[in-house]
Amino acid sequence: MKRFLLQISLFSIIITAIFGIILSLADGNTDPFYIRFTTPKQENLILGTSRAAQGLQPKVFNEICNKNFTNYSFTVAHSPYGKVYLNSIKKKIKENTKNGIYIVTVDPWSISSQTKDPNDLNKFRENKLCVATTQYVDYNPNFFYLIENLNGKYLDIFTKKNNSKIFLHNDGWLEVSPSMDSNETIKRITSKIEDYRKNNLPSYKYSSLRFQYLKNLIEFLNKNGSVYIVRLPIHPSMMNIEDELMPNFNNKIDELTLQSKGYLDMTPLNNKFIYTDGNHLYKDSGEEVSKIIAQWIINNK
Amino acid sequence: MLFNSIDFAIFLPIVFILYWFIFNKNIKLQNCFLVAASYLFYGWWDWRFLLLIIFSTLVDYSVGRGLLKQEKPFKRKILLWVSITVNIGVLVFFKYYNFFLDNFISAFSLFGMEIKANTLNIILPVGISFYTFQTLSYTIDIYKKQLKPSKDIIGFSAFVSFFPQLVAGPIERATNLLPQFYKKRTFDYTKAIDGMRQILWGLFKKIVIADNCAEYANLIFNNSIDYSGSTLVLGAIFFTFQIYCDFSGYSDIAIGTSRLFGFNLMQNFNFPYFSRDIAEFWRRWHISLSTWFRDYLYIPLGGSIGGMWIKIRNTFIIFIVSGFWHGANWTFIIWGALNAVYFLPLLLTNNNRNNIDWVAHGKNFPTIKETLSMILTFGLTVFAWIFFRAKNIEHAWEIISSIFSKTIFILPKGSDFINTSLHPLMIFLLLGIFILIEWIGREQQFAIAKLGLKWNIFYRWFFYTIISLTIILLSGSKQEFIYFQF
Repeated sequence: MKRFLLQISLFSIIITAIFGIILSLADGNTDPFYIRFTTPKQENLILGTSRAAQGLQPKVFNEICNKNFTNYSFTVAHSPYGKVYLNSIKKKIKENTKNGIYIVTVDPWSISSQTKDPNDLNKFRENKLCVATTQYVDYNPNFFYLIENLNGKYLDIFTKKNNSKIFLHNDGWLEVSPSMDSNETIKRITSKIEDYRKNNLPSYKYSSLRFQYLKNLIEFLNKNGSVYIVRLPIHPSMMNIEDELMPNFNNKIDELTLQSKGYLDMTPLNNKFIYTDGNHLYKDSGEEVSKIIAQWIINNK
Repeated sequence: MLFNSIDFAIFLPIVFILYWFIFNKNIKLQNCFLVAASYLFYGWWDWRFLLLIIFSTLVDYSVGRGLLKQEKPFKRKILLWVSITVNIGVLVFFKYYNFFLDNFISAFSLFGMEIKANTLNIILPVGISFYTFQTLSYTIDIYKKQLKPSKDIIGFSAFVSFFPQLVAGPIERATNLLPQFYKKRTFDYTKAIDGMRQILWGLFKKIVIADNCAEYANLIFNNSIDYSGSTLVLGAIFFTFQIYCDFSGYSDIAIGTSRLFGFNLMQNFNFPYFSRDIAEFWRRWHISLSTWFRDYLYIPLGGSIGGMWIKIRNTFIIFIVSGFWHGANWTFIIWGALNAVYFLPLLLTNNNRNNIDWVAHGKNFPTIKETLSMILTFGLTVFAWIFFRAKNIEHAWEIISSIFSKTIFILPKGSDFINTSLHPLMIFLLLGIFILIEWIGREQQFAIAKLGLKWNIFYRWFFYTIISLTIILLSGSKQEFIYFQF
């Protein structure tokens, strides 16, 4: 028995050690979320869905606001406003922060739900995704995240090393660099708009529960600093869909304005920017938008 | 609890240590602990399912005791039928109720009669077909006086619920497994190491081969309308490997785990895809179920003794019932019937026992005739699996029509598979290596039973390390074991 236990233990240690080394090689190429769970707890955060994840660049905010920002936005599937995202944000914020700056980006999708009953918390799709399942959000390397979420894709740690099209920076900004050839861009935009019109518009419904969680989030963030609410620009065709989904969106957000330092609706500037697919800002435009927002924050301090 | 989960990776060593170091003082205590561990393992899915196992255990234990005391044939028969009715009744209710109801309604609607009946939202308890058949064999063997009933309810409960084989077999016979719960188990180093190797190989089959093939098979079968005939053939081949590696991988882990606890389970798969005819295939595929049906259904029906029509009838019955055992869907019934059609010519011409020995026994390569026979048999099984995997008969027919159309000549495109974890070429490479290792080890209990045993310890450990790392790095997206649903 002794010999068996010794051999099995030794073998397990060897395998675990090699596995650990492999996991520790995970980086911003591995997947679009991992790095955000490896940085320390933060004082200043950019929050929202993939529009913010790809559009808002913390380095721009750092320079203008003279603070250290981290982008803690994911996707509309992972981080619409709700219990899951609120809990994760609570874990990510440094204790006793008093002067933090929080940029909360909003859009109709992030306060809507695809479930039959839009307020059925137990059926929200983010419940089973990484924002919900990652209990520790500031470990580096974050073995908890990698084991839970990268299962079946560990080879990506090696194979995606040189994939330069998607890269998650240490500050949480997801840099996406697709070909911006006009034909391809038009194709992507057309396909995305069609997908949203065909699949998302009929299935998404406003969720008063999500809206309540957005309120709760702002309330919580206010205890740690100042909250700035922003609606990011999108492609005009996408704007039409959003107007159909929630024509009174801005009125709803107005309810929150009093709780925050202000609401910046950038959709009147939709035509001024370039989008990769109609939903997300291209990085150059993202930089411009980041500058505008940072300046607005400075002006509203 | 899934074998390929972190939960099980924690559960197994804890149970192992407690079993050998804390509960090894007496056999009753050890069995009691096994029951508790098995219930925990099973209750991990849904604790409510445990009530069914406990009920089944109590019924068969009591019937067994009753059969011991009862000598009158009529009363013995009644007791036997109590067990059969309860076990099959539970199975029919949980597994087949909605199927029968739907077909009943459809049949009446054919005659213009509309029947309103509500289907029930029944959750199928995991592995119900496996433990039900295992407990049935116990009662039938006692009835036939081939086995003495258990006096020890703890030992019997451990036999019914033994966690390594509880949810997906092998379906053990009481004559083989039950006595092992009465004897003191002693730790055997060679057996335990052998068990670990079998677990490792089982995990490789399940996680690397089956789960990766599943991604391709699911993609192709779920979007069959978009693919050419050649790609659909590829999908059927992927499913053929998926189901084999999924199920035989589970059996390997089950048998290997049992060995760690000092138990011997029966071999459930014996390299079936190297079979030279369908009869040989069925002697090598899901052996515990095939022999169960042979002993408790085929032989009582008269087996192959009797006229041609009796043989035909019995063959169809056993294959169709076997198909139906897999699930409440006409696809499984057609799959069973198709295998009966494959098997009958061999039976009727007395050629069903031509290939008893291993293929190319003692040689490295098969003869051309053997190779062609294996390819033909493999092709027949691939074709039958289309019915097994399809959503319904129409879907299967749609796939088969596409395969036998001009599109069979359109080569599959790599761009069809852009979202899969592994590149198609990588899958083919893995399958190639897998088939080679299986071929080398085809005369053993499992493919790597003897592989590398004579190597220097450094090379041997290197080999196991490579397999382990392959399991970690090349794992497909996690899938439940297919046979859990049966």
